[in-house]
Amino acid sequence: MTTTVERPALATPRKVAPAKDGRKLIRSQVRAGWTLLAPALLHSGVFIVIPVVAVLVLSLTDYSFGDTWAWVGFQNYSDLFRDVDFQASLWHTVLYALVVIPISMAISLAVAIGLNQKIKALGFFRTAFYIPTVTATVAVATIWLWIYNPGSGLANGFLALFGFAPNRWLADPATALPSLMVVGIWQGLGTKIIIYLAALQGVSRDLLESAELDGANRWQKFRNVTWPAIGPVQFFVLITSIVGTFQVFDLVYVMTQGGPGSETRVLVMDIYQNAFQDLKLGYASAETVIMMVVIALFIGVGRLLQKADVND
Amino acid sequence: MTSATLPVVSAGKPSVFRPGRILLYVVLTVGALLMITPFVWMLLSAFKSNLEIAKFGWLPGELRWRNFVEAMQTAPFLRYFRNSAIIAIGETAFTLAVCTTAGYALAKLPLRGSKALLNYFIVLLLVPFQIILVPLFLIVKSIPLFGGNNILGQGGIGWLNSWWGLIIPLGAAPLFTFLARQFYVTVPNELAQAARVDGLGEFGIFWRIMTPLIKPALITICVFQIEAAWNGFLWPLMITTSDSMRPLQLGLAIFAQNPEQIQWPYLMAGTALATLPMIVLFVFAQKRFVEGMANVGIKG
Repeated sequence: MTTTVERPALATPRKVAPAKDGRKLIRSQVRAGWTLLAPALLHSGVFIVIPVVAVLVLSLTDYSFGDTWAWVGFQNYSDLFRDVDFQASLWHTVLYALVVIPISMAISLAVAIGLNQKIKALGFFRTAFYIPTVTATVAVATIWLWIYNPGSGLANGFLALFGFAPNRWLADPATALPSLMVVGIWQGLGTKIIIYLAALQGVSRDLLESAELDGANRWQKFRNVTWPAIGPVQFFVLITSIVGTFQVFDLVYVMTQGGPGSETRVLVMDIYQNAFQDLKLGYASAETVIMMVVIALFIGVGRLLQKADVND
Repeated sequence: MTSATLPVVSAGKPSVFRPGRILLYVVLTVGALLMITPFVWMLLSAFKSNLEIAKFGWLPGELRWRNFVEAMQTAPFLRYFRNSAIIAIGETAFTLAVCTTAGYALAKLPLRGSKALLNYFIVLLLVPFQIILVPLFLIVKSIPLFGGNNILGQGGIGWLNSWWGLIIPLGAAPLFTFLARQFYVTVPNELAQAARVDGLGEFGIFWRIMTPLIKPALITICVFQIEAAWNGFLWPLMITTSDSMRPLQLGLAIFAQNPEQIQWPYLMAGTALATLPMIVLFVFAQKRFVEGMANVGIKG
């Protein structure tokens, strides 16, 4: 293998360094740490933090791409709380996140475990599950619009098999959002599966083997060895899923444009419309700030859940 | 989440005929079909005529290979491909350099406030790109000493219309720092300690001991970053004015410029060709996931 760890050096531990070197050692670690971290801090500071500060400042103004603007204090925020479109968008987005995140995470992990075995045509299966991630959104939307077509769609054909009455799916206010959730889950599986696959490689085989020797069954091995070992990566998937579902936009935009009525209107769509169609950048900025706060709340809950399960 | 029941099958004897195995194959096959259907439809549509594509159907009457040729002749696509490749490679190299180092420092080095720093990167994830677009544009325009700017970033165009502007701002996303960190955390500290005792420096430990152990994560970062760069649309649209630097996705937009008259066959043919490199990349990358397995034989 090209990247084997230099085992001989590790396997013969020499005499441990004297204790007086301890503090020097720590200091060199700290110095190395800041050096390694500096580029990322600089980059994120310039290209993300400054723009975010700009958004925060803009949210207190009535800026609308013109030459003149004025401070309006928290006017944008109090307006938002009376804005029906905003409330609908926020509610739909929260619902979307609550349904899509747990289901897609559970399916992804299950598929990743299935794809982490010695099975035939492994490469084909792995590639197949990743394909939606690289498929153009227009193609994705076209197929799903056809599946959901009230007249000749595949979904109604499937219902008919079991003798159910046809549904109007995306055209029906009651089923429009759930129909979108299905597509959202479908589209998001690929990336999550890859991350889980990468994480499963890191699960110590020695531990799995010794658990097996101790007579652990499959479920016990999964629960006591694999699950804790992939904890940090699980957390990563959870956080990125929260952020991803809250920022859902393209999919909704091409499939329903927020309709019927505003039944599938989501936050980023509302923000985008306020900022670039109505040119109310100050107002849209305030909306973004609220969105970030809501995502942060979700992440806080996510952290609590993870703490309750495994310790970091 | 915690209550999800999962089929856990051991990596033991690969006997195809166990009932569990058969179920696994059935589930995976059905899933795989669900996943590739839109893609297959896209490929088939690339061969259709304008008339055929107007109504929904699967098979084209004849395989119109000329769709591909004509689509590629509509614009300098060879150059667009090259430009996308430059951006993808540049962004990926930059991301790997910045995010693995930062991720390692956050995971393994005794920095004061490293939990707070981690939270900082997580908070940055929350920022939707669409909304920082305008301020980001202004920042890139006023990068000092580039594009005719003075030391205060005034007077010129900064990184607009340059490879720097296309590559640097969108590279090294906090997402990848976070990803790298979460993988470094899973590597046991004992390895680093042993190397330290042997007198290896901190950078050597990072580069020669710890980083090779998260190879699956590095491949994941490469795949995601190349993919993101390859599909970039909004940002290149905003900051490039000349055709010579435009990437693939802007080229493809030509076919959809007029919403009333989208040239579907060309759009599908062009998209299929544009997607191909990404699929080839993934087919190679996914093999490395298996390879990585052999190396991770460390006690946790």
